[in-house]
Amino acid sequence: MNTAQRATAIAKAAEPFRALLGPTTAADLLAWLRAELGSSEVLDRWIDHGMAKTKAVAPGTILHVVSGNTPHAALQSIIGGLLLGSRNLVKLPRGGLIELDEFVSGLPDTLRATVEMAEVLPSAWFALAGALIVYGSDETTAHFRTLVSPSQVFVGHGHKASLGIIWDDPKFASCDPAARDASLFDQQGCLSPQVFYVRESRPGFARAYAEKLSSAMDRFNRSHPRGSITVAEQAEIANLRAAYRFRAAGDLRVALWEGGGNMDWTVVYEEDAWFPASTLNRVIFVKPLPEDPAASIGPAAAHVGAVGLFPCTEELAERFASLCPSRFCLLGRMQDPPWTWHNGGVARLVSLVKWVDFEPPSGLTA
Amino acid sequence: MQTGEIESLEKDACRVVRGEGDENLGDLLLRLHAYQFRNNAPYRAFCLSVAVGEMPDDWRQIPCLPQEAFKHADLRSFPAEQTRKIFRTSGTTGEGYGQHHFRTLEVYEAAVREGWRQAGLPSSPYLVIAPHPDEAPHSSLSHMLGMLAPRENFIAPGGEIDLQRLQSVEEPVCLLGTALGFLHLFERMNQRGLSLALPPGSSAMETGGYKGSGRHISRGDLYALFGDKLGIRPDDIYNEYGMTELSSQFYARGPQGLHYGPSWARAIVADPVTLAEVEDGETGILLIYDAANVGSVVGIRTRDLAVKRGEAFELLGRDPAALPRGCSRAADEWLR
Repeated sequence: MNTAQRATAIAKAAEPFRALLGPTTAADLLAWLRAELGSSEVLDRWIDHGMAKTKAVAPGTILHVVSGNTPHAALQSIIGGLLLGSRNLVKLPRGGLIELDEFVSGLPDTLRATVEMAEVLPSAWFALAGALIVYGSDETTAHFRTLVSPSQVFVGHGHKASLGIIWDDPKFASCDPAARDASLFDQQGCLSPQVFYVRESRPGFARAYAEKLSSAMDRFNRSHPRGSITVAEQAEIANLRAAYRFRAAGDLRVALWEGGGNMDWTVVYEEDAWFPASTLNRVIFVKPLPEDPAASIGPAAAHVGAVGLFPCTEELAERFASLCPSRFCLLGRMQDPPWTWHNGGVARLVSLVKWVDFEPPSGLTA
Repeated sequence: MQTGEIESLEKDACRVVRGEGDENLGDLLLRLHAYQFRNNAPYRAFCLSVAVGEMPDDWRQIPCLPQEAFKHADLRSFPAEQTRKIFRTSGTTGEGYGQHHFRTLEVYEAAVREGWRQAGLPSSPYLVIAPHPDEAPHSSLSHMLGMLAPRENFIAPGGEIDLQRLQSVEEPVCLLGTALGFLHLFERMNQRGLSLALPPGSSAMETGGYKGSGRHISRGDLYALFGDKLGIRPDDIYNEYGMTELSSQFYARGPQGLHYGPSWARAIVADPVTLAEVEDGETGILLIYDAANVGSVVGIRTRDLAVKRGEAFELLGRDPAALPRGCSRAADEWLR
């Protein structure tokens, strides 16, 4: 199969996963290749490259180590490997990933044969892999980094936390989009905002925003109920609510909105800028926007994934560049990254391929 | 605020702790709650926020204050100028430390001694692998250990474990310390290729988790190390479950042991959503009612999970494995 044929087959298998992956047509995938490699045919044939020609060579085998609860990240990783034409070995989380099984079963035989999955990592896989892509905690990625040889490509996607910045929204138009961003995937993804920083365009605006957001969270929850959670997760949310209920009872700088008796959603308003520990599962903090977020939000500043902006302008992206996210986007689209997104600041395809040049003895003719 | 009332409650609590008199624990808890409701403004505000007043019908209706509250407010039920002792939490989460204020340590110390006796814990001599109270004046654990062992038996001054002292033990001893402290001891012994066989009948009590250290080892594995490195049988090792916010402790014996509390404290394993007590064998959050918490609040909502096992509980703790987070990073992780 050539690249275009693979893109068509992948797009067909990805159709049932539109909610997880966003638009994934063959054209989208080929555009991703063009954006990163300069041509969608550079894996198949020599392409002009200055005075020479060049071709991208994908790793023969890619080992993907994917984490649980983020099937979209796993799917994106495998799709990248399939698009490049590599063989894909997938270390699944304990319990597997049903979405990945379904996606692979939708591939034509020739592509399906290039994917192998296992919940226990076979030791032989390391030696086979030309590239290793790891999703997980810093400890997990650091562990796998120590196992690769110098000849192997390593791409680690450590954990990130995302946030939203509401700069100017006098009519609370961003509340529904913000609720969508904070609710989809129950905040399990690295693009899920955990805190919204709201500019105090008038005194008390951030608190008012929190209240409006709580209504939006409730609306979203009615149409998209939260997934099931464990007793431990329930306990984490319940404890967080109890702690903030205590604080709100005696401190006007703190407020709590709780949705549903089943821990459906929680909005906490707090005046300090610290990026707090979130329990995830639709627990969102609203805080007044500090003058310099990168200097004010604490250790989280070193781990910012995406920043949702409202409004989304280049000026605001420049203003908050010191947060160093891999993505600024419009609030409401935080969960819909384009295929060209530099996940973790890395071009996902170009970081995997090697280039081989062909220099015609007579040079290129115009 | 009438000092006479709290003095009277302290005496009553001491009597109950010592098993004197015949006051029903539930009645004492309700009297303590009523006093604390009137004299502890942050707690009163919390009670009112959950629609509970001064006189609930049953002690189980007394609102349990989340542990974290001690980080955000002074929760004393007596005038600040009467404060005699403050114990502080370790503050490893990056959000400051909590404080537990005491007007007197009489009830606290009675609870330590009587709790130790009720749990059938080993008798002295004790060797302590933890800071002496002079080194850690705000540590409730150090205070407790200081009550049990003389200063010369604290064998890790400045954090440096005196291995020679351990090697020279000739009679059965009981080692007291934190799980992390013991882990450090075993690593140190490993580095030196050292293993000991303490005299038969030796025992140990360990407490605390590994929060903030980035380390984790199961109770079973830790107790196996006690056997390998010190010759202490797993069934002769006790785990203490306690916290700065409480005045009483719960103890479990052996790697599989359940935690039991003293007669003046109750552990309720509750559904995290409804706060109703779960059925036997079910998992929930741990609520503790401690009648020795006279000067603060009697009901504490811990952050720990447990399984209800009759009158005891099986501690699960804050199991990180039970909290899958995908690639979304929880702040706990970067604060390690």
